[in-house]
Amino acid sequence: MLSGKIVLLSALVNCAMLTMMSAFAAPAQSDAMSAATPLTRQKSASTADHSKFKELNQAFKTGPEVTVACLICHTEAAKQVQHTKHWTWESVDPKTGQKRGKKNIINNYCTSPVSNEKDCMACHAGYGWQDSSFDFTIEKNVDCLVCHDTTATYRKLPGDAGHPIYERREFPPKSGKFVDPADLKKIAQNIGKPSRSNCGSCHFFGAGANGAKHGDLDSSLQHPNKYLDVHMDEKGLNFDCTTCHATSSHEVSGSRYNMAAATKGPAHIRGNPDSSPAACQSCHGNKPHPQHMTKLNQHTAKIACQTCHIPEYARNDIGTELSWDWSQATRMGEDGKPFVRKDSAGRRAFDSKKGEWVWDSYVIPEYRWLNGVSTYTVIGDKIDPGKTVQINEVGGSPDDPDSRIWPTKVHRGKQPYDTVNNTLTVQHTAGEDDTALWHNYDWQKAIRAGMKAANLPYSGNFDFVSTELTWPVTHMVAPKEDALSCAQCHSKNGRLKDIQGVYMPSRDANKLLDTAGWALALLTLIGVLIHAGIRILTSKKAG
Amino acid sequence: MFKVIGGFIAGMLVVAVLGYNFMGSLMFREIPSPFGVEETVARIQQNIQSTGNGWTLSGLRNPGKAVEADGGNTLPVMMIEACSTRYSGPILKDDSVRFLSILMPCKISVYKKNDGATYIGMMNAGLMGRMFGPMVGETMGHVAEDQEKFVQFDASKPAPAMIKATPGGGAGDSGSGAAGGC
Repeated sequence: MLSGKIVLLSALVNCAMLTMMSAFAAPAQSDAMSAATPLTRQKSASTADHSKFKELNQAFKTGPEVTVACLICHTEAAKQVQHTKHWTWESVDPKTGQKRGKKNIINNYCTSPVSNEKDCMACHAGYGWQDSSFDFTIEKNVDCLVCHDTTATYRKLPGDAGHPIYERREFPPKSGKFVDPADLKKIAQNIGKPSRSNCGSCHFFGAGANGAKHGDLDSSLQHPNKYLDVHMDEKGLNFDCTTCHATSSHEVSGSRYNMAAATKGPAHIRGNPDSSPAACQSCHGNKPHPQHMTKLNQHTAKIACQTCHIPEYARNDIGTELSWDWSQATRMGEDGKPFVRKDSAGRRAFDSKKGEWVWDSYVIPEYRWLNGVSTYTVIGDKIDPGKTVQINEVGGSPDDPDSRIWPTKVHRGKQPYDTVNNTLTVQHTAGEDDTALWHNYDWQKAIRAGMKAANLPYSGNFDFVSTELTWPVTHMVAPKEDALSCAQCHSKNGRLKDIQGVYMPSRDANKLLDTAGWALALLTLIGVLIHAGIRILTSKKAG
Repeated sequence: MFKVIGGFIAGMLVVAVLGYNFMGSLMFREIPSPFGVEETVARIQQNIQSTGNGWTLSGLRNPGKAVEADGGNTLPVMMIEACSTRYSGPILKDDSVRFLSILMPCKISVYKKNDGATYIGMMNAGLMGRMFGPMVGETMGHVAEDQEKFVQFDASKPAPAMIKATPGGGAGDSGSGAAGGC
């Protein structure tokens, strides 16, 4: 009987302990963050109807003609654009002075626009950049329409050096599909503020395929639902890109080249010159959670908002590219001819012109310390081919007050390099000439032409080297209900298992401390049992 | 006598606790896949179609879509449905075990977990079948043998295209014809 009571007591103690442990393990629920009031997208509130301007009431033949008309009223617009990365494709690190940007970097997607300008400049906010002789000071070459078209009919195709199509053309070649020329007059008379469609026409399709480059930017953000992006939700807040990427004098905020990884202080009013308008803290402050969730607010000292609130990126069937292996390019099919192959989800997997790709959807980010400063491997930099070359060396450490733990996409590649000079090579890929890789499938000719265009020495010997390019993930913010739960990081093999320099309960353990803790718990239990036993015995004797 | 009965009861309790704890892992299996979700699905579908023994694809469901429609994100999960009338026929003809139609069509689940890896979830058809008599046991034993073939992958072969089917199968949609649904 006595042993039965002890067993019962022991079971009760166990139950109580289990209940306590379950309670601690349960993810915290937020009920204090109120739902935002849905906004409906309104028609343009502009005070000017551009269709009534006589300057725009003409049969424009070319893009530059439209720009000339725009500049009659918007006298400073072109000058402003010419100071931005969208025009220069160049960015200077304010701390190191290093010149980055597409013009100076060989990435591990399409590698470099140098010698391929006629194709790549389909995404340049300008007209006529087809080689190094392009004059960056000519104002009429600024493309106003690519960002301000509201008709969604303005298209720039590869091969035209940034001009829109002026004559009906079959595109892609031999596809049987035709693209009609843009009605420049109609487009000019219907301009407006940049929409998701304008930004997305380039940023959703970077690296030549939908979603390929960024992973958190693809065409699903044209009409997103709440679960894809809580801010851009078409039926909810319906943010445009420029809602966060607030723009001043055509300078768009929030570039990854000069990003603020650790914005501090409370939410602020836009216009504060010290602020970073594209950062989450700009609206939410750095204590975004309700007061009773102090512990979560304390996390903002070490964790970027995105780490918890973007649990996966590429959250759709479009997916994103995880690797690009250029060493497989020029491989022919069994019949000796170029071929293409798609993966199981219908995305590009192989092309004799470009090599091999690996894609995935709903990708779990790779986490790392980030302070917003990246050092890039730029054109001409020496590399160590014995190691994986970091296209951008991400700065940040646990001791750096400007660092936070960020979710990132790491794009892995294999790309050509000069085995004697130990530099990544520029290759001439696009075009119909005899040196273009996609035309003649000859690496030697392509690299020689590319290096010549870049004014770089080439030894004539090349091989392929592994590279990595790291992107901070910052779009596709999930609703708060879908944010990471505590246990997804606070566990042995959790999301942050590889993050060093910070103590994380449940992930990190001190053996001595753990042993002492368990010993104390055991002693307590024994004490309870002995106490209970004595009470039972004494009550029996008394009875 | 008291000790014997006590020991017997204690033994029963131990077996019950062990059974309760291991039942899940005995009835169902989870194995990691070397491929992503779509490629795993496509390769399993291809294996099903090439296994013979009357196997056809019945459908491809995405249970995560329903969750999303109802409010929330889930990591990808795809459910491949396949059927072989060679195995379903005898069971469906026998009144005493026809209730096992609830297990039809045969399902294989492919999903991603928070570690970023892809996994395959399957029912342990062989073990489950043995609970329902010799005929079902033998039939489900064959199903289990074929299931093993479904998840044997040849990585040297290029990834096939995923066959996107209308749930429940149907003419032209399942990639296996109208007979695909059990």
